[in-house]
Amino acid sequence: MRVLKILTLFLVIVVTGCAAPAKKDLSAFSSVAPRSILVVPSVNKTLDVDAPNYLLSTLTVPIAEKGFYVFPVNTAKFVLEQEGFYEGEQIHNQPPEVLAGLFGADAVLYVTINRWDAKYLVLAATVTVEFDYRLVSKDGVEFWKASQKMQYSPETTNTGSALGNLIAMAVSAAMTRAAPNYLPLTQRANQIVFVLGPNAIPDGPYRKLK
Amino acid sequence: MKDVGVKLVGLGVCVLLITGCASQGQLYKWGGYDALLYQSYKNPEKVVEFRAGLEAHIAAMEKENLKVAPGLYAELGTMYLQSGEPNKAILMYKKEREAWPESKGLMDALIKNTQKRAGDNAEAKS
Repeated sequence: MRVLKILTLFLVIVVTGCAAPAKKDLSAFSSVAPRSILVVPSVNKTLDVDAPNYLLSTLTVPIAEKGFYVFPVNTAKFVLEQEGFYEGEQIHNQPPEVLAGLFGADAVLYVTINRWDAKYLVLAATVTVEFDYRLVSKDGVEFWKASQKMQYSPETTNTGSALGNLIAMAVSAAMTRAAPNYLPLTQRANQIVFVLGPNAIPDGPYRKLK
Repeated sequence: MKDVGVKLVGLGVCVLLITGCASQGQLYKWGGYDALLYQSYKNPEKVVEFRAGLEAHIAAMEKENLKVAPGLYAELGTMYLQSGEPNKAILMYKKEREAWPESKGLMDALIKNTQKRAGDNAEAKS
């Protein structure tokens, strides 16, 4: 019975959560009303040099699906490199007006990677990603921001024997250590920030048309 | 049996959690764009697959008269540019500009620069 009560409560949260999300004030967003968003390479505060590229590959789809024109991220990266900008830090230090002007964008999305790591105890592993997101208008006004942290520890199924469990945990931790998979966590963080969370961005012009 | 029932409800809740709020419906077909881009960053040799994947996806979309998702024409164009095929690149940049007016500023600049570079190369050869 207790399980059922908990489940019912959970369902209530799910249902009301969708119906009436505690939306933050998005009037700043609405007053800028961007049509197009330039996603620039991110600032990387972690030790994983691949993190910015991997993150970049996950940002287009959720934002475009919200109804905005997203500039082709790999083409934008290529153009910036032609201009001599290779590092996220260097790009984020440029005036947003200049970047937006170079591409003809209404807004620029800056993301900073704060965490992108896998930590190991003897038999357990935890994978963590954490990002700060900022949208700045072509006039240089920041009109939206969000932060998101996601964590994952592989669950191992109960094998029914202590030794079996121990081996299952060791195998799972070893596999996570060999190839920690940051992508699902990163996609989930983006989904919460742009689509599901209380601070999700409003629908863009192509979503409204539908 | 009771346990199975509880597990099923739990599964249902999880599915609702993941899909429920996001059920806005997709605007575009992406043809695996994000996964292909990720793979090409992870292993630069996979850029060949990225290019072939985008070519096939765009051809399929055009055949069905469906709108190609934002940025895909341009991304393919940039791969053509990087592999020394400026004329094919320009064609893709023009398609991006036609499909997505927001891209006009960037596409105009890319087309102009690519034409100039292609011209320089032709001069150097003659």
